[in-house]
Amino acid sequence: MHTRRSAILAGAAFCAAPMVLAQGTTPFRFALTPVFLDNDAAVISALRAALGEAMGREIELVQRRTYQEITGALLDGSVDAAWTCGYPYLQHRDQLTLLGVPIWRGAPLYQSYLIVAADDAATSLADLQGGAHAFSDPDSNSGYLVTASDLALMGTTPDGFFSRSIFTYGHRNVVRAVAGGLTRSGSVDGYVWEVLNSVEPGLTARTRVISRSEDLGFPPFVARTDRMAEAGVAACAKALQGLGQTDTGRDVLRLLFLDSVAPADPALFDGIALRMAALAGG
Amino acid sequence: MIVMRRFRNLPVTLRVPLITAALMIVLALVASQSVLGALDRVQDARLSETARLHVEGLSVALGPSVLRQDVWEVYDILDRARLASDGQRLLLTVVADERGRVLAATDPHRAPVGVEAAAFGDGAVAPEAVRMTGDPVLRVTSPLQYQGRTIGGIVTELDVTDLLAERRQVTLWLLFGNALATAVLAFGGWLAVARILRPVGALVQAMDASGGAPRPIPHAEIPHGDPGLARLIETYNQMTTAVEERAEAERRLADRERFVSLGRLSSALAHEVNNPLGGLLNAADTIRTYADRPDVVRQSAELMQRGLGHLRDVTRAMLDQNRLDRAGQPLRPEDFEDLRLLFEPEAHSCNIALAWEVQAGAEALSSQPAAPVRQVALNLLLNAGTAAGRNGQVGLKVSNGGDRLSILVSNTGNAMSDADLRRLLASGPLPPGGGVGLRLVHDIVSGLGGTLHHDRAEGRTVIRVELPATGSGHA
Repeated sequence: MHTRRSAILAGAAFCAAPMVLAQGTTPFRFALTPVFLDNDAAVISALRAALGEAMGREIELVQRRTYQEITGALLDGSVDAAWTCGYPYLQHRDQLTLLGVPIWRGAPLYQSYLIVAADDAATSLADLQGGAHAFSDPDSNSGYLVTASDLALMGTTPDGFFSRSIFTYGHRNVVRAVAGGLTRSGSVDGYVWEVLNSVEPGLTARTRVISRSEDLGFPPFVARTDRMAEAGVAACAKALQGLGQTDTGRDVLRLLFLDSVAPADPALFDGIALRMAALAGG
Repeated sequence: MIVMRRFRNLPVTLRVPLITAALMIVLALVASQSVLGALDRVQDARLSETARLHVEGLSVALGPSVLRQDVWEVYDILDRARLASDGQRLLLTVVADERGRVLAATDPHRAPVGVEAAAFGDGAVAPEAVRMTGDPVLRVTSPLQYQGRTIGGIVTELDVTDLLAERRQVTLWLLFGNALATAVLAFGGWLAVARILRPVGALVQAMDASGGAPRPIPHAEIPHGDPGLARLIETYNQMTTAVEERAEAERRLADRERFVSLGRLSSALAHEVNNPLGGLLNAADTIRTYADRPDVVRQSAELMQRGLGHLRDVTRAMLDQNRLDRAGQPLRPEDFEDLRLLFEPEAHSCNIALAWEVQAGAEALSSQPAAPVRQVALNLLLNAGTAAGRNGQVGLKVSNGGDRLSILVSNTGNAMSDADLRRLLASGPLPPGGGVGLRLVHDIVSGLGGTLHHDRAEGRTVIRVELPATGSGHA
């Protein structure tokens, strides 16, 4: 189903290309991390088509392996805007401004899940001591910060608590690592796990969620504060928030299992800030 | 050994196809071995190539990740490689670091991160050396080279169940195909050989036919396409003609023997006829001289009647002995009287004492045919008379006991020679020299289903003829 839709969207994007090329010479560079559903080329194509259509210019989707790379590109101006995580946003809160935040299941919130293999008897983080653990990214809130801050509150660190901790640079990879038995447990984005549960139930069925964090601010779209006045950036914010109003935009939202994109208040990420404080304090 | 002997006893029409089939089986085995050998080489090459490509591909992909000890990256590459290969051939791949500990494996449950990798390398060989061993799982190991140095190692378990199944299937098909081909060719061989050897079979049948009397093979059945065989059969036909001629000669000789035996008696019988003639002539003179004296005439007439009666008996005995058409007549006591009449003059002429004893009654004798028994008894008596010589003794005793008639002929002469005994008792070819009288006795007795026995004790030679009462065969 996705493949056919992606083909239609790619076709639409191709038809729109001459028009957008006529309006601007340099494409708008939008960064994504593979932390999300990197394996779904349909999402990438649809997003490019929707943003291109809404902004009236060519979109160049830039993918990097880590949040650190994305943040670096954003800060040095290599990219114009990015979909990143609440944790790197807060790390560079003085330089970054929110363009919008996705609404998932009616709220701009999500959770971090602690998962183990389906047949593992563990019921809490404490039971996982001495086992191998999979994080997604050292700059990920749900894929690192939540578990690391919990451990900090327990007076320990990931390296001290787990026999071995690895970074897989992808929430889906965390699920794969746990499902395949590479690690005993993993910290994963609850939104990603739930989406995977819909599109790849065979994969998530081999894992079991043993704890969920409190609700935290959903990974936001951000741009550099000093570039907020630029027409492209403003158009991007407008395009993102208006995704629900176009067919291509609604396709993107449906593919991403999101309701819409809403204007965001920095206070949404206070929960993450608390986690950061706990980690720093620990 | 027993099997070999039995095999040698089989007819040639069966032996040749069997040998053909055996050769076919040997050929099939050699061919199958060759095919399986080729299959082995192909499979080994395929396996080696698969293993080499797998390991080389992984080496290239894994190098940087292994160098960084990046567990996830190594696992990710292995996992994607496993999914790409559909998991059909590659069961497990373990990547070890420089210290020989597992960095990651396609199945972390079997090979958890950090354990000693050596256990997974048991029995593993280099990719180019991997061979089918019959084991469904083969292990391949290779050092992991990156930038010119060894940074770890790879062990891969290959699933070769499909190759083994393929080999099994080929073996089965070969077995089935070869069995079928062997059966067809053996059957064809049998047909061909049977056809080729048909004249030989006909020859054997002709030789076996009609109780040892070889019969010639008709001209139409001679295979003129095969000069050797045709010559063989023609030679055989010539031989059968020769045998027939010889048998005919023997038959004629045997017939003549009847006259010979009478001929041998002719001198004595001539005396036997001549002696009464003097008395008869005297009686005739007496009648003429004393025609007016009735008492003398009556006396002379009686004398003449007795003499003529004797002459009549002698001539009748001679005629009976000669008449071949008496073959169907049953034996009677009078036949032995005839024999005595024929033989006695010969005995008297040689001063031979004759002991004549016929115990068997008319009823017992009647179960035997007259002509052959008379011929047997006369031949034996003549032989005994010759053997006994002047002043010897000859005995004849005819008795019946149980269901058989026994004729004993004895003499006091010299023992019989080996050649004579062979003539009398054996069925083999006639020894050169000598007459055919004794052989005739043997043939007649055999024809009547009887037996001949020879005994020599206390200076007497005894020939005993035993004839079954229900003797049906006629000589």
